[in-house]
Amino acid sequence: MGCILGKRCTPLPDSLKGVYDMSLTAERWSRYIIAIVIIFSLNFVIPRAMPGDPLTNLLGEDVVLTDSSVTKLRSEMGLDRPLSQQYLDYWRSILHLDLGHSFHLHSPVSEIIYSRMKWTLLLALPSLLIGGVLGTYLGALAGWRGRSNSQKMQTALFLTIYCTPPYFLCLLALYLLSFKLALFPLKGFYATGSAADIAHHLFLPILVMTLFSMSRNYMIMRGSVLSEKSSLYAAYARAKGLYDDEILFRHVFKNSLLPIITLLAMDFGFILSGALFVEIVFSMNGMGNLIYDALLSRDYPVLQGSFLIITLMVVSANLLADLLYSRLDPRVRWR
Amino acid sequence: MGRSLYKYTIVLLLSILILGISCQCVEDSSGKVLKIGTPSVVKSASILGDSSMGVFAHLSNPTLTKMASDGKVVGLTAKSYEVSEDGKTWKFLINDDLYWSDGQKLTPDDVRFTFNYLAENYPPAGWIKNTVDNISVEGNAVVFKLNKPYSRLNLEFATYPILAQHIWEKVEKPMEYTNEGENVGFGPFFIAKTDLGAGVIYFQKNPYWKGTSPKFDSLEIHTFSNMDVLSLALEKGDVDAYYKYAGTYPYASMQKLKDTGNFDFVEKDNIGLMLLGMNLQKEPLSDKSFREAASYAINYSEILKLDALGYGQIPNAGFVPPSMMAFKETAKLEYNLTKAKSILESAGYKDSNGNGIIEGKDGKDIKLTILTRTDYQRATELIQEYLKLLGIDSELKNVDSSTWIKQKDAGEYDLTITRSTPWGMLMHANWGTGYFDSRRTGEGVLHVLDDPVFLKLCDDILAATSDDQLGNYAYELQDYYAENLPAIALYWNKVETPTNRAWQGWYSDPLYGIFNVDNFLSVEKKQ
Repeated sequence: MGCILGKRCTPLPDSLKGVYDMSLTAERWSRYIIAIVIIFSLNFVIPRAMPGDPLTNLLGEDVVLTDSSVTKLRSEMGLDRPLSQQYLDYWRSILHLDLGHSFHLHSPVSEIIYSRMKWTLLLALPSLLIGGVLGTYLGALAGWRGRSNSQKMQTALFLTIYCTPPYFLCLLALYLLSFKLALFPLKGFYATGSAADIAHHLFLPILVMTLFSMSRNYMIMRGSVLSEKSSLYAAYARAKGLYDDEILFRHVFKNSLLPIITLLAMDFGFILSGALFVEIVFSMNGMGNLIYDALLSRDYPVLQGSFLIITLMVVSANLLADLLYSRLDPRVRWR
Repeated sequence: MGRSLYKYTIVLLLSILILGISCQCVEDSSGKVLKIGTPSVVKSASILGDSSMGVFAHLSNPTLTKMASDGKVVGLTAKSYEVSEDGKTWKFLINDDLYWSDGQKLTPDDVRFTFNYLAENYPPAGWIKNTVDNISVEGNAVVFKLNKPYSRLNLEFATYPILAQHIWEKVEKPMEYTNEGENVGFGPFFIAKTDLGAGVIYFQKNPYWKGTSPKFDSLEIHTFSNMDVLSLALEKGDVDAYYKYAGTYPYASMQKLKDTGNFDFVEKDNIGLMLLGMNLQKEPLSDKSFREAASYAINYSEILKLDALGYGQIPNAGFVPPSMMAFKETAKLEYNLTKAKSILESAGYKDSNGNGIIEGKDGKDIKLTILTRTDYQRATELIQEYLKLLGIDSELKNVDSSTWIKQKDAGEYDLTITRSTPWGMLMHANWGTGYFDSRRTGEGVLHVLDDPVFLKLCDDILAATSDDQLGNYAYELQDYYAENLPAIALYWNKVETPTNRAWQGWYSDPLYGIFNVDNFLSVEKKQ
């Protein structure tokens, strides 16, 4: 708090402390707001900086048009206006909570995103949560009791999964469990739409995503616990006569958790676009596929809308991570 | 705690598994359902706004005409048609036993409405406004009065779905109109539901269909975003056949299906082809001799073997494949590197400084830019290798589709490897002219040829008033291609469509493959 490392700090009087905290909070909030404004502007600029034209892929590969038809279409799509005008319209739409209309999917972007997002969340959220909890827990145990054979085997297994390309693991799981053993369907979010049918369709993709998330969290947590294990406070706790589990879960676990919180925050931010490989392999019309297709077809409104949601999620996740950090680590101050 | 966690996890997994498997058993549907798998993913339930959906909608909303197996255009919704001697009046007699799936009768007014409506609201049909003066109904016929002869009106009408006036007149922007529910159609089947979450389009029998009765109860189109998984679905029996507009089943995956003993392949000569496009507006490709030398430098049998695994044939210089109407046998393309080098030398392209690279007429080393897309990577690398053997340096620009279109339109290339689709070969003045005519534009077309001789040929074809005239112009055009080489066909390939042997009676037409009304009236499940 305003002190230089190595020098003794003089506490601020109570009257000034409130003012200081408020200015700190305002500074952090303004930082987030500026970040949002910059990222939103980049969301407008980046799709337009890509080579190509949104008009492409709109009518099919083998359509011949006259120049006048192209001009008319361009005008209907609002692409003939100056970029500055388009940029102002973009901000006006955001302030009116209007994400625009997709060039290629012929529907309001907000409706498209809603219809895709609910499925992607259903797919990615359980993986994030289960993978986060199990990976962290098992990783902590592995770091703490790393010498047993079962822990070594477990680590080897998670390391293998962690190193496997996601696309390959998806195909492998699908080939073995859906094709060879016929336990799961090959594609889609559902066939009939009943709850059991949806669970049946989502089980395998969620399993694969969970394994990925779990293996990564496992490896990070294991490493983190291993480094905390040799700290003086752990040795002191042991000397005090605390049981192993108590040392791990009351002291070491909390301090080892910081890198996991950063990772989970990043995962949460990119939860909508992170399931792309799974969505392609399992033929699922989710957010990953939506963004990928929009990139290929230069569907600016869909790209802007999707990036906007992702931006908000990333910023919120960062905010949440900051709050959690300050709760877990008193060295990080935040109000 | 660790053990209990493992136990709970295992119990949870098992219960979901049992639930799922029991759910899978209950799913067994009644009736005969034909399931077709396709990699053409439908992105929106818009029959005019989504190109894949547009192809599938031909079964519920058939076109006015269709292409028969011999390439001739015959009636579909129209019982027959006739054209006046001056080629300016076309009369289509509409079948009088067609009914929409909501029970209303299809009338000539629906047909008139469709073309007026598309002309006004559907950009790809914008040409109608410039060509057709008036559309009228005379009894059971629809008459199109044109402002100039237009020989290919019947062919154009093999692509537009006929729309129900009582439904579509309320739709202001047809390309933005999406409907995931029932789409009223008048074909043997109509679209009952488009489920994008499940990736399935469900077709039901049209209860008011009076023609030949289909031999199965419903049709499902299953879309897959991954070709490997679609192959597994075929092998597993989840889908009965494969379909892709203007595309074949991957040749490399065919043997695996053959090994199962459960599949037949519907084989059809493709109207579309793989081609080497050239930027005729830039040196050195603007030089005919250079193009001729390039044509002799390509090892056609090798490219056919490596890129199409031999499923096709070496093409002619006349470009147009034999599967098209009025095909003319022009000279076969030939690989002869010595001849290629000698043509270059005679034309003044020499390696004067001995660095192994031929210099252009400006004295500088020739370095060509080859623009390509990932789909054509193998063929592109082979072409680059052939050019190297000829002494021509080149750089590859491998880009995505949107970038390809942009750079192709901006002329930022010398050579490009691409393909033509069946409709692509038929569009504009037919026989591939749509790809070259500099007066046109479009996603897949090169529009680089502004030679007045070629442009006049295109206009003559469009204004032809008899089949004989058309045939003669087609021959002239193929001679023109053979002599001037505005593009080089790399191979003429075959379209292979795997179908499960449990089903028989498949029929593939030259334009839309197995996705045609006749096929779905003919296919039946073996007893």
